Amino acid sequence: MILKIIIFLLLGAGLLACSSVNTILVNNEQVSVTSEYEKVNSADSIILPYRNDLNKEMLEVIGFAPQSFERGRPDGSLNNWSTDVILNSQLEKIDKTKPIFCILNFGGLRNPISKGDVTLADVFKLMPFDNEIVIAELPISSIAKIEAYQKIRGGEPIAGAKIQNGNFVFNNPIPGAKTMLIVTSDYLFNGGDHMDFFQDNIDVQYAGELMRDVMIEAVKKQETLIWSDEKRIDLGE
Amino acid sequence: MKRRTFIKNSVIVSGGVLITPNVFAAESNVSSRKRVTILHTNDTHSNIDPFPESHSKYPGKGGVARRFELIQKVRAEEENVILLDAGDIFQGTPYFNKFGGVLEMKLMSHLGYDAATMGNHDFDGGMKGFVDAKKHADFPFVCSNYGFENTPIDGHTKGYTIIKRGKIKVGVFGIGVEMKGLVPDLKFGETKYFDPISVANDKANLLKKKGCDLVICLSHLGYSYESDKVSDLVLARKTKNIHLIIGGHTHTFLDKPTEEKNLNGETVLVNQVGWAGINLGRIDFEIDSKVFAKKDIIKVG
Repeated sequence: MILKIIIFLLLGAGLLACSSVNTILVNNEQVSVTSEYEKVNSADSIILPYRNDLNKEMLEVIGFAPQSFERGRPDGSLNNWSTDVILNSQLEKIDKTKPIFCILNFGGLRNPISKGDVTLADVFKLMPFDNEIVIAELPISSIAKIEAYQKIRGGEPIAGAKIQNGNFVFNNPIPGAKTMLIVTSDYLFNGGDHMDFFQDNIDVQYAGELMRDVMIEAVKKQETLIWSDEKRIDLGE
Repeated sequence: MKRRTFIKNSVIVSGGVLITPNVFAAESNVSSRKRVTILHTNDTHSNIDPFPESHSKYPGKGGVARRFELIQKVRAEEENVILLDAGDIFQGTPYFNKFGGVLEMKLMSHLGYDAATMGNHDFDGGMKGFVDAKKHADFPFVCSNYGFENTPIDGHTKGYTIIKRGKIKVGVFGIGVEMKGLVPDLKFGETKYFDPISVANDKANLLKKKGCDLVICLSHLGYSYESDKVSDLVLARKTKNIHLIIGGHTHTFLDKPTEEKNLNGETVLVNQVGWAGINLGRIDFEIDSKVFAKKDIIKVG
């Protein structure tokens, strides 16, 4: 009898235990890292020699931004500046019998250029990647895919062309041309950000220049950076 | 936030003397509530110094030395602190271009990171570049759904890690994003990619079986997509045994963790703190320790 009671109690306890729950109480805070925590500390000492080394190089002022350059979708002043600079850097080298434009990716413009002095570091932050410029030749018929891509993405930076009501229009069309040239980065040409239309390419030239280096040269040459909020992409309905 | 003291409730249950103490403790409210503080970052992108005051979007925000100060403050107040990162440690400032990620690894070790996972940009210096920088890290990288056999990274990452703090065991594993199209082919070479959902389920189940009180997934999938691409929210819904997903990749600033329901209808928290070390995520858990509990119920305060 006593044994039965023990078994009963054990069983009961077991069943109760199995149906029980753990409660986990949670508190959260997204703590903002601000000057409130500014204090010279041991992490600073680790950083210092690296920072000094870099600053020598990077804090050199190479130009001036009259306004802030921001990336945007479908359009942005940084989209316009970056694509213009990359396109212009290649115009002298190319076959003028084919229409040409430049496409880059919104995601690749990593940092705005703030109003004021522009340092070498600012350009490194905008374009940290060691991406090379390429010129791809594609059939004109691939434009439909580019229009579709622009629509899906909500606008990716272009120069030398516009999207009007969803339709692609060259700034300088060449009647009868069967192919076109697209200036872009090796990253995008090789399928980055799913620009799959580049698989239609019939030829590609690697420019042998890094996008960042071209941008640095452009800042130095322009001195006061050319700011434009021109609307280039209207995706329509 | 002040440290809390927990009072052990003593509850007398009739007949209790007949039952083994462990079972008794598990069933009754005689629970030793355990507390652990999770601190986390994602997509710090080589932002060592704070943004300058002239920055157009985040003036004066962030900075690793300040983050260290903040973390030290939390460590002084809390007994059990775990510090985690969800990837994309590299790329974004000249510090990476010039020093290849060495400084990032040295600093994360100094700050006391317990684990991190790899984001797509952590391949930007090539796989050998990652391994070279990682020599300066004293914490593990958990990568559960990349297969690194026949690559330079083989043997330099772990499938999961279990972090013990006092009486608490926290299991941590890492889920990476598919690199095709994101990372140049040459940079990830022969790395194999395994399905995030099935790997996450396997690891979470394993960590539960190993007696972890909490299971955390460090994810670099991205918070949410309009397409049916797998994201943190999808991962939360299609798995079980995960309590918290610390995400990255999409640079999403959340005001608070998102609460999703998993396959068992239990709450999963998904959190992400933007990028560049602008915010530090902090989640405090107070956990029951009932041995035979079938279910975990998460209550967000």
